[in-house]
Amino acid sequence: MPLRGTTANVPRNPYPPGLNPMLPLASRRYGAINWIGLATLYGKEVRRFWAVATQTVLAPLVTGLLFLAVFVLALGHRVDQIGGAPYVDFLVPGLIMMTIAQNAFANTSSSLMIAKVQGNIVDLLMPPLNALEMTIGIAGGGVTRGVVVGLTTGIAMMVFVPIDIAHPFFVMFHAVAASLLMALLGMLTGIWAEKFDHLAAITNFIVTPLSFLSGTFYSTTRLPELWQTIAHLNPFFYMIDGFRYGFIGHADAPIWTGVAVMLGVNAVLLLLVHRWFKRGYRLKA
Amino acid sequence: MTAAKLGIRRFGALNGLGLVTLVKREASRGLKDYNYQLLGPAVTALLYLAVFRLALHNDETGQLLINFIAPGVIIFSACEKAYESAAGSFIFDKHERIIADMLMAPLTPIERLIGYVSADCLGGIAVGVVVAVVTLVFAELGAAHPWAIVAFGLLGMVFHALVGLLVGIWAEKWDQFSAIHTFLLVPLSFLSGVFYPIEALPGVFQAVMQWNPLYHAIAGFRYGMSGTEAGDPLLHLLVLAGVNLVLGAWAYRWFRSGYKLKP
Repeated sequence: MPLRGTTANVPRNPYPPGLNPMLPLASRRYGAINWIGLATLYGKEVRRFWAVATQTVLAPLVTGLLFLAVFVLALGHRVDQIGGAPYVDFLVPGLIMMTIAQNAFANTSSSLMIAKVQGNIVDLLMPPLNALEMTIGIAGGGVTRGVVVGLTTGIAMMVFVPIDIAHPFFVMFHAVAASLLMALLGMLTGIWAEKFDHLAAITNFIVTPLSFLSGTFYSTTRLPELWQTIAHLNPFFYMIDGFRYGFIGHADAPIWTGVAVMLGVNAVLLLLVHRWFKRGYRLKA
Repeated sequence: MTAAKLGIRRFGALNGLGLVTLVKREASRGLKDYNYQLLGPAVTALLYLAVFRLALHNDETGQLLINFIAPGVIIFSACEKAYESAAGSFIFDKHERIIADMLMAPLTPIERLIGYVSADCLGGIAVGVVVAVVTLVFAELGAAHPWAIVAFGLLGMVFHALVGLLVGIWAEKWDQFSAIHTFLLVPLSFLSGVFYPIEALPGVFQAVMQWNPLYHAIAGFRYGMSGTEAGDPLLHLLVLAGVNLVLGAWAYRWFRSGYKLKP
């Protein structure tokens, strides 16, 4: 049996290549993108939520299942088929998307907010990362949280109700696009907010109502005409509608309009976040 | 003027001033930020009702279900507030190390228990009233048995406040606070008839629900508002009072022994 710790006695070069302190310091030695920095930032964002997975993955899953139970038990036999699908089949994609949206938003907004309040935001601002790398690294963490939570919630729901997927492409596209959209919105909120109260206000008064009222629990065709028009101006509606199309093959709005809206809104938000990071808006003195 | 000579406790069996001070402090911190602490639950309650309103047909049966849900949402919001203020206040004070202010004050364990629970109930009542007013947008509320509204409202909130006290004393991190909330209290109330009559549940679960104190609180409160009887109100009352007594005794013991509070 080998002695414990014997391998530790083998001398080896402790420095990664390019970081030998015996060599003189030099300027940035990487190309257009600092891949190591980007991967580190992304990894930090993922580990941040994974370390408390009970709260960040299991809790939304349980809440999603609860909503499923409540709505099926309270409404299952009262609501007619919607778009040719039983109410349960209609409800499940909506609930999964609601969970994805809320968690992608929570991940990025809380990450920036806590870093600002605790003062360790400098750890983000000091490293050699440019605005684009910061945007992608943090948004990537939010997208990962959204997709992981959506996947686990979906699998958990499958235990109780049969789930068919009609168009896998739309399921994947909308899961990722919606996660990105909410992650970017979360970043804007996290950068803008100065207190936890501001963040709570945006979550309680904007994100939760929009994720509840944009067709998660009912078809927007049931709304009065004026409200239908308003609903169709709301990006939340397209992410739920398109995601649901991937499952049941029925959408309230033209499916490619939804794809275009998601791409367009994401592009605008990406530019905005990038600009704010570049200017250091509310982050740098 | 010379300072009064220090001596032993000079008030009677009950430190009235101390008790009132504790209630004032706890109740005011729970309602200071009324924007978030009152408006938040009101918006959430409104959302639940709006979702059901829009998912249901706009006819008589739809309205009946909304009227059924509204009392459930009201007592759920009030109870949630009682839990949050009880547990939140302890965890916050422990983290900020100002829990000593409470431990140093000349209050007996029973005074602390009464002080905290009544303050948390006051917060719950404020939220409950605001939510009730807001639900009038969608629902028709009644007061068929006012005594039941008061009794079950209070018993439900006391239950949550006591659970909150125990969690607050025991928990060292906010994670534990939200875990009890997400994995225990919300499922217990959502599954026990906030949104649907328990007859909608499969038979086994109906029997299990009889063991859930929150089922009794919600059913009793709804009986008070709409007059629809689900089970025997007296049974609901007895179960809740019994559970609250046990939890109260437990919290009293922890206050007396200083468990997790005193070194």
